[in-house]
Amino acid sequence: MRPTRLRATLTGLALLPILAWTLFPIYWITTASFKTELALYAKPPRWLFEPILDNYARVLTNIPFFQYLKNSLVIAVGTTLGSLVLGTLAGYGFARFHFRASEAVRFLVLVTRMAPRMVLVVPYYLMMQRLGLLDTYTGLLVAYVSFALPFSIWLLIGFFVDVPLDVEEAAMIDGCSPLGVLVRIVIPIAAPGLVVAAIFAFLVSWNEFLFALILSGVEAKTLPVVIAGLNTDAGPLYGEMSAAAVMVMLPNIVMTLVLQRYLVKGLTLGAVKG
Amino acid sequence: MAVGGAGRWFLLPGLGFLFAIDLIPLLYSGWISFYDWWLIRPRDVRFVGLANYARLGVDPEFARAVVVTTLFTTGAVLVEFLVGLALALLFAQPFRFLRPIRVLLLLPLFVVPVVGATMWRVIFHPEVGVLNYYLAALGLGRPPWLSDPTLALVSITLVDAWRTIPFMFLVMYAGLEVLPAELFEAAAVDGASAWQSFRHITVPLLTYIMLVAVLIRGMDAFREFDVIFVLTGGGPGTATQTIQILNYRAFGLGHMGEANAIGMVTLVLVAIMCFVLMRAILRPRGPRA
Amino acid sequence: MTIMRNAGRLAAAVLLILTAMLTADARVWAQGKSLTLSMLAGYKEDVLRASLPEFERKTGIKVVVDAAPFGDLYKKQLLSLSTGGGRYDVLFMDEPWIPPLSEFLLPLNERMKTLDLADFIPTTVAAGAFQGTQYAVPVDPNVQILVYRKDLFDQKGLKPPATWDELLAAAKAFHDPAKEKYGIAVTASSDIQTALYMLLAMWSYGAELVDATGRGSLNSAAGRKGGEVFLELLKFAPPNVRSYNFADVNKAIQLGHAAMAIQWASGARPMEDKTRSSVAGKLGYALVPKAVRQTPMRGVWTIAIAKSSANQDAAWQFATWLSGKEFGQAAVKYPSATSAIHSPRVSVLRDAGTRAFLPYADTLLDSLQITKERPRLREYADIQENLRVTAGKLTAGELTLDAALKEIDAGTNRILGK
Repeated sequence: MRPTRLRATLTGLALLPILAWTLFPIYWITTASFKTELALYAKPPRWLFEPILDNYARVLTNIPFFQYLKNSLVIAVGTTLGSLVLGTLAGYGFARFHFRASEAVRFLVLVTRMAPRMVLVVPYYLMMQRLGLLDTYTGLLVAYVSFALPFSIWLLIGFFVDVPLDVEEAAMIDGCSPLGVLVRIVIPIAAPGLVVAAIFAFLVSWNEFLFALILSGVEAKTLPVVIAGLNTDAGPLYGEMSAAAVMVMLPNIVMTLVLQRYLVKGLTLGAVKG
Repeated sequence: MAVGGAGRWFLLPGLGFLFAIDLIPLLYSGWISFYDWWLIRPRDVRFVGLANYARLGVDPEFARAVVVTTLFTTGAVLVEFLVGLALALLFAQPFRFLRPIRVLLLLPLFVVPVVGATMWRVIFHPEVGVLNYYLAALGLGRPPWLSDPTLALVSITLVDAWRTIPFMFLVMYAGLEVLPAELFEAAAVDGASAWQSFRHITVPLLTYIMLVAVLIRGMDAFREFDVIFVLTGGGPGTATQTIQILNYRAFGLGHMGEANAIGMVTLVLVAIMCFVLMRAILRPRGPRA
Repeated sequence: MTIMRNAGRLAAAVLLILTAMLTADARVWAQGKSLTLSMLAGYKEDVLRASLPEFERKTGIKVVVDAAPFGDLYKKQLLSLSTGGGRYDVLFMDEPWIPPLSEFLLPLNERMKTLDLADFIPTTVAAGAFQGTQYAVPVDPNVQILVYRKDLFDQKGLKPPATWDELLAAAKAFHDPAKEKYGIAVTASSDIQTALYMLLAMWSYGAELVDATGRGSLNSAAGRKGGEVFLELLKFAPPNVRSYNFADVNKAIQLGHAAMAIQWASGARPMEDKTRSSVAGKLGYALVPKAVRQTPMRGVWTIAIAKSSANQDAAWQFATWLSGKEFGQAAVKYPSATSAIHSPRVSVLRDAGTRAFLPYADTLLDSLQITKERPRLREYADIQENLRVTAGKLTAGELTLDAALKEIDAGTNRILGK
């Protein structure tokens, strides 16, 4: 179907309300970070105002923000790598290797994510306590990879099954090992799927609060716990919370901008077919 | 089968890790649910068999919570799936201007849930919130978003949708991108319309991914807590009191047996939901090779 | 091949990350004495951190602060103490948590004798005790007070209400929905504050949540009267009071919508903050209204020592300092934009300098002399949860007042095993 001017315009028009709805709260949070609380609640709502930097100043001076940023980053990147490696292997295994209990095992993988997270708090706490992993990067990493892995596996299975079999078979006939097929052929074609799994795992770790709260406290404290702390017993500190939220958003945006190059068609059969 | 017998080596690392780290704690949690364990009396732990479950079974508050949770999950997933799919299809078109906008659509995913919900509370504020200000200006009155029982349910669904439509969009968009262009080109050559291409190429191939997206979202929506807690706290009254809020309460008071019993019931309910979904969507098309 | 290059890059990245992790995962090896404190995150933490270097300098004790948000602090302390991990030496805890956590805390009766108890407001010390044993030292007392718009009251030539009847009359007098002006701001959501407002009203008329025999006794004539007065009060509150929480009550005053509010003293300081409040400087403070009796609700933040702590002497030194005059004065004057740590000491609250920072200091002091405490029971958290949910159902219209009172007592009795 030839893309037409008309279709482009219609698409644009259809997108406008969605974009407005999606972006408005983000805009509101961002502007809130530059406003006093009084200005935030001003009536009529002020779209133009004099920005202040106090909220950012307070957040950056009252708490060792960059320390927690580092913690969050290290743990999130570690979670992403761990989930991707283990998930890609397992996903490919499920996609191409069928055994009798295949469907049951796949369901079992999902079962671990069916109980509310809260239910795992005490067992994880006791486990980390016994292993001496409380308040460490490793402890949180192990927990987060276990959270992200089931969905990563299922996601990647979905993408891998869409990769045409004949390409893989051709490569194997040429003498490529299964691992080689995975790395050289399947991953490039299913790259968008890996991007999604990566973003998903990163977000699971980055936004996670409950286990960060219970399993860490000082050394491995992450940003969501810090932000939750801005919800004080005297009410939420809207300005500071917004400032912190904006700063927390930025690494995610950078990551997505970097990864989105791979979110496109292009690494397809054409490049590989002999 | 491209992989053949070597497949088990692919599966081992991931599955081994998962079952060690996840399954054992889950079994432990299930085991606790058969005990009366109050954290403030750690030495006074008693085996009570199914008593915790029996209490839940006759508790009208729990039954209501199941209803509320089901309503919320169904509504949220439906909206998120449809809008996400529509967006994915829109963005799959080869227009230049779409590329930079993609990242913008994903932004809600990057907002820490607690902050997002807090800011929505500000927006929803009946008297000075910006939403009602403009609604009133348009003559639509000032809906009590968070203090009316029905509207409160709508509000939490809205905020959840805002936060996770980007995820649904992302998954299905990536799925579309993986589909080989050759298939569509061949179909176009054969004279197929856009709708026919969609129905006969896109839908079958995208089925599994759509299923995964709906499953993941359904499971997460059923267990959703942060957003609902910040927005309404379960109120007004018990209008938005989900199973997770009850779980949080039991857990916060230190009643481990009760909390884990609620958790196990949730697990069973979610398992049933997943099973039903998988059968309904995968069965008609047969298992994927 | 591109893939090989990318794989190589990936491997390098992984190695880099691992190295960063392992080197960054440095633990604090205690040199000299070290205490781990479980603290409340937010402005209280800020105030503490500002003064900590002074403490460390004077005593050589290093304090590691593990701060958790308000909604989760109890959970974290309970989990840690109950599983015996010995994670914390000292704990900053709200007084209702002391009965359930008492068996994990160090009794302080003997040590208390070394403090200058005469300077402490007596009820604040009582807040740290349970069944005759002292488990915690008061640090930050809080109490319910009445906040009112002095300017509006002066305009109408009215005095602040002293009884609940006068409160209702005043709320009615100032209630003008057409102009978006409301009589009083309270909460009527399923938030805990709703239950506490209702309890305050019921207490004032003579009712008790748990009577002397340990049975629920809110379902009485006094309880019913208090409930009716509370529900009547909602008629003069902002229209969406049923979604209000603690912060919304503050907002109602700060934005000039409400003429009065019953609020915890910790909420008063933000009302005087010019960047958050349009009525800073226009407010007056009084004790909560009375009926049969005057019963402002008490809530004291205390410092306790874990029984399992290996540094009990250092911990006691910290507790002494935290409840001391020096920290009290610094805390009250800390330029926090949010709120303040109120000292439990009479000398600090009476000090002229304090009044400049806490305009409500006199009301705070007077209220603290006559406070009423919530039932000191291990099971109180459960009883309060039941109260909270039932109050929420009452204000949402899911229950009538009679049904609500019955349900509250039934729940209390069930929890106490009566």
